[in-house]
Amino acid sequence: MIRLRINGLDACVEEGSTLLEAARFLGLPIPTLCHMDGLSPYGACRLCLVEIGTGAQARLVSSCTYPAEEGLTVRTASSRVLRARRMILELLLASCPQSKTIQDLASAHGIRQQRFRQEHEDCILCGRCVRMCQEQMMAKAIGFRGRGGDRSIGTPFDVTSEVCRQCGGCLYVCPACQLRCTSAQPEEAICGGCANLTPPCIEKDRFDDLMCSLTPCVACEIARES
Amino acid sequence: MLRADADESRLRIAICAGTACRASGAGQVVQALKGYIIQNRLQGRISLQTTGCHGFCEMGPFILTLPQQAFYTQVRPADVPKIMEAALSGGYAEDLLYRDPHTGKTYYRREEIPFFRHQQRTILGASQKIDPTRIHDYIAQGGYEALEQVLARADPEWVVREVKASGLRGRGGGGFPTGLKWELLARQPGGRGKYVVCNADEGDPGAYMDRSILEGNPHSIIEGMLVGAYATAATEGVVYVRAEYPLAVRHLTVALEQAREHGLLGEDILGSGFGFDIRIVRGAGAFVCGEETALIRSIEGQMGEPRQRPPYPVQKGIDGRPTVINNVETWANIPVILRGGAEEFAKIGTKNNSGTKIFSLVGKIRNTGLVEVPMGSTIRQIVYDIGGGPVGKARIKAVQTGGPSGGCIPASLFDLPIDYDSLSQAGSIMGSGGMIVMDENTCMVDVAKYFMNFLKDESCGKCFTCRKGTQRMHELLDDISKGKATPQHLSLLEELAAVVKDTTMCGLGQTASNPVLSTLRYFHKEYQRHVVDKRCDAFVCADLVGAPCQAACPLDTEAWRYVALIEKGRYEEAYQVVRQANPFPSICARVCDRKCEQRCQLGAGEEQAVAIRALKRFLTDRVRPAAYKPPRAAPAGGHAAKVAVVGAGPAGLAAAHYLSLLGHRVTIFEAETEPGGMLISCIPPYRLPRSIVRQEIDSLVDDDNITLRCGAVLGADVTIDGLLADGFGAIFLAMGANRSWTLDLPGEELGGVYSSMEFLKAFNLRGEELAGGHVAVIGGGNSAVDAARVAIRQENVQSVSLLYRRTDQEMPAYAEEVEAALQEGIQLETLVSPVRIRYIEAARKEGIRVETMVQPVRIYSQQGRLVGIECIRNRLGEVDASGRRSPVPIPGSEFSLSLNTLIVAIGERPDSDGLASMGLELDRGGRLPVDARTFATNRQGVFAGGDLVTGPNTVADAIAAGKKAATVMDRYLRGQGLIQEPQIHLPKLFLEPAEVGEEEREHAQRAEPATLPVESRKKNFAEVEMALSAEQARAEARRCLRCDLGFTERDEPGPGRPAVEGASA
Repeated sequence: MIRLRINGLDACVEEGSTLLEAARFLGLPIPTLCHMDGLSPYGACRLCLVEIGTGAQARLVSSCTYPAEEGLTVRTASSRVLRARRMILELLLASCPQSKTIQDLASAHGIRQQRFRQEHEDCILCGRCVRMCQEQMMAKAIGFRGRGGDRSIGTPFDVTSEVCRQCGGCLYVCPACQLRCTSAQPEEAICGGCANLTPPCIEKDRFDDLMCSLTPCVACEIARES
Repeated sequence: MLRADADESRLRIAICAGTACRASGAGQVVQALKGYIIQNRLQGRISLQTTGCHGFCEMGPFILTLPQQAFYTQVRPADVPKIMEAALSGGYAEDLLYRDPHTGKTYYRREEIPFFRHQQRTILGASQKIDPTRIHDYIAQGGYEALEQVLARADPEWVVREVKASGLRGRGGGGFPTGLKWELLARQPGGRGKYVVCNADEGDPGAYMDRSILEGNPHSIIEGMLVGAYATAATEGVVYVRAEYPLAVRHLTVALEQAREHGLLGEDILGSGFGFDIRIVRGAGAFVCGEETALIRSIEGQMGEPRQRPPYPVQKGIDGRPTVINNVETWANIPVILRGGAEEFAKIGTKNNSGTKIFSLVGKIRNTGLVEVPMGSTIRQIVYDIGGGPVGKARIKAVQTGGPSGGCIPASLFDLPIDYDSLSQAGSIMGSGGMIVMDENTCMVDVAKYFMNFLKDESCGKCFTCRKGTQRMHELLDDISKGKATPQHLSLLEELAAVVKDTTMCGLGQTASNPVLSTLRYFHKEYQRHVVDKRCDAFVCADLVGAPCQAACPLDTEAWRYVALIEKGRYEEAYQVVRQANPFPSICARVCDRKCEQRCQLGAGEEQAVAIRALKRFLTDRVRPAAYKPPRAAPAGGHAAKVAVVGAGPAGLAAAHYLSLLGHRVTIFEAETEPGGMLISCIPPYRLPRSIVRQEIDSLVDDDNITLRCGAVLGADVTIDGLLADGFGAIFLAMGANRSWTLDLPGEELGGVYSSMEFLKAFNLRGEELAGGHVAVIGGGNSAVDAARVAIRQENVQSVSLLYRRTDQEMPAYAEEVEAALQEGIQLETLVSPVRIRYIEAARKEGIRVETMVQPVRIYSQQGRLVGIECIRNRLGEVDASGRRSPVPIPGSEFSLSLNTLIVAIGERPDSDGLASMGLELDRGGRLPVDARTFATNRQGVFAGGDLVTGPNTVADAIAAGKKAATVMDRYLRGQGLIQEPQIHLPKLFLEPAEVGEEEREHAQRAEPATLPVESRKKNFAEVEMALSAEQARAEARRCLRCDLGFTERDEPGPGRPAVEGASA
């Protein structure tokens, strides 16, 4: 067993546990996006950052990949962690505002605006689908290609993969397209803001004319007021 | 026992055949050398070595002949016989030796050359004695001795202890202690094997030290890895090298084969029972693969993406086996440590940073190449002693270290010792050792944008904050460089950069913010200029600059436009373009300091800038001023106000003129008897004929809205309170700077000692000739040279000496006249700042003795009159904050000069003491500070501009101040806000470009206006420079590169549109 201290609480976890597991065991909430139980840790979305160490040695690490170490000091909600997390969410919101998952996370962290140029990407490259396909479906039909801004997920040479069984597991685990799947065009997706009581302030005009199941839509109301 | 002997007594010819030298033709030189040796049957008498890189790559190919150490640079095959003959006779082929292109000094022995003299070439020095494809060369230089020693001791722990004791830290940039890393690996269980890896994935733009070691001395890497493997019980070695380094791969492959043949690799190495082999893995060129976890994945055959550590590679590396990764340079240091002993090694450099480090020195610097210095040397030593300082006039402002992930260190921190810790504290990193020198023509926003562009493409993209963060930072920087940014951009950029640094997974992302954070930290003003003023002072950001000639002009004159119109022969329109921006076209055509020409793109390359001022002179001599009628705003009843302008110099007159055009009634108060200020009182008539000045000023003053009152002195005749009480709505102060600084030596009040202002005014305003006999002028600025040239024209003057405390290269005087004599024969290309020298040469030609590096210390007098001065000679000391070497007096070098006249011209300041009592706040130099954007002083309604605000400055800047102040004062009088949003003036009007053929462009020469012959200038004040002929002018205008065409489109304006709005038909 490994003993460590998280947010001032002494914890004792099994060897090989990650910091995320340890924190969740103590009931401390840490937001995640690329992490999924049953899939291998990946550490790409950086949302689950926690601060480890003390003084000048303190640094941020992704809790989903960092193994619990004997005597480690961990802070899951220090100001440094929260500052970073909010910026990450703002970046996510700037790229993929139509994702219900991202909107909920953003509003839960009190993010009411995003200051970057608005994009509508349909993928945040969290790699859940790739790992799902490889680790749970044993298919390896999709993978990453390219680097930097050109990185994308797909089948080799964009040809329908022979090993794909069209199980839909990749869609099932996707955090970006849960609600977008209601429409093929991201611009026409419902904003999902109605489900948030404190919706993030993305470009609301796009959603003005959209059909929305809830009337009045909270998001649209707030947008109109402000 | 390996043994090979090097016959040191035999004549050796070493020629560099590294990648750079090969590209500059080393191959042909080697062939010529071989041909010569065979032809002259010299086989056996001479040993010819094709070696690795010597480091001085810009001067390649080289031949080094030993034992003379003669160093021949930029050798062509035809030079070979001469060099060989000299070498065989033990002498030097003088004309082919290295000659410093800036000082012209020839160096005989290589070690004397400044570039080499200040280095300590432990690693690089070995390369030049070795043919990398011959293992015997390496062995002859003591190669593999370290390995033999290690195997003989049979104590791996001793090796680790030695490396630890040496204090060697990872040369790849991280600076992790190598010995500690090895110790960790040695402790790992080795059941399934262990790896040692050489990281040769060198990807920083502009850095190539690893390549040069691999190419030049591959056996040192092999030996280092063998020792490392023995110490850590590693079983396999990998060299991960970029596929873009074909020569390195070839030499390494050959070296590995030779090592195997000699029993240095494989089973049972040198009979010790120790087995180890090395293979080469070629990387496909992803920058991120230099990161160790990504490198491991790449070696495994997977996509090169980093993963979170722990586990560290030492625990779980290639295929899950313990692995140690060291950089090329680190491995190359290992044999050095073991051969010389750890203790000796630790003595080099500083306490926690031992040994030497190789840097690749590139950028705006005289000597570029690979440089090896002890750790802890200062940046200043590298940049100035080895690099030779700046190339041109522009000052060096920063050094970028550590490649794309590094930061920029400003010139103010150049005394920083270069070691891992100091660099990291300064916000940069050591990195693998790239060092890019930047001068004032480098835009720091652009630098940050360039590196961010590189990083956003080279980020592996796995980790969200690195992929999106770099992309968004680039987006923000792009907005800033295009003038689309708001102050919020800067705060967001800083916030984002800090988060990216904090949250990313691997080294690439953690350092990716450094270019942004370090430039924001040290060059925040430059960012502000881009964001707030929409200006790029380095003239790099095209969307802010437009046509550089226009952007450079303080008056925003569309130089490109009138040049293009001259080319078409549309002279009147061209004149209108000039006049629209500048109410003093004829004056500026003679005395403008030509900022436009300094920024001309044509002059940035090999050619000379377009002679824009000479073209303006051509126009003003040819076109009647009446061709332009300035548009007048209708005197809007309620707004027409009374404005007072104090001082009728260029700033005051320009302000009065533009205020009048805006409908205001202006009264100008001038202390002297006639208007003109410096134009009349200071600039000598041979540069600016009095008739031209008077005519141009009269045309402005002859205006119903303007009243001129000469002989009215502020403080004596009028006061600010009085003017305000008299109903003047606003006051513009532009009295200039016309009080000379004094030397602060006793005797300056003597007869025969004058300040330059006193001397010039006496002559220019009253015709008094104060100088006589032997004259000395002290100073190096424009007024010093003016005073000297006026003095030599005076009747009773026998000789004139100009004394300056620095060298003529540092003189602040700028070129005004081109000397006919100089055009005829004097080559100026090799000089650092030809323009400047030329002007001084002009003075020299006229018979003025220029004495530099001296300063006066005592004034001798007899009966209250000057009889002479004592001077002391200076030497140049350390480079000061201004980027110039400061003069330091040499004790005992005093000497005396007998003089009849001494003119002190060491600078001027505003004569502004009276202003303080009128409620205005002055600075220490007597200048009147104003708000940079509104020209407002601390008193409401009182504005100021020109030399009074800036100290002595150019005519164009003074006119610009008056012009801009007029619009601000107009806004003030109308009760509007003073600050106007800055506007970017990009070329708008399309003008058909001239068809200039390749041949014409190649042969075109800058047109130089004719000048009065030297003999005809003596003792008279006739104008020296003449105008271009129409033919010359049109040919000159055709040389223009027409930078404006990048911003205009053919169809945009209608064909009937006039060239100038408001011009009379």
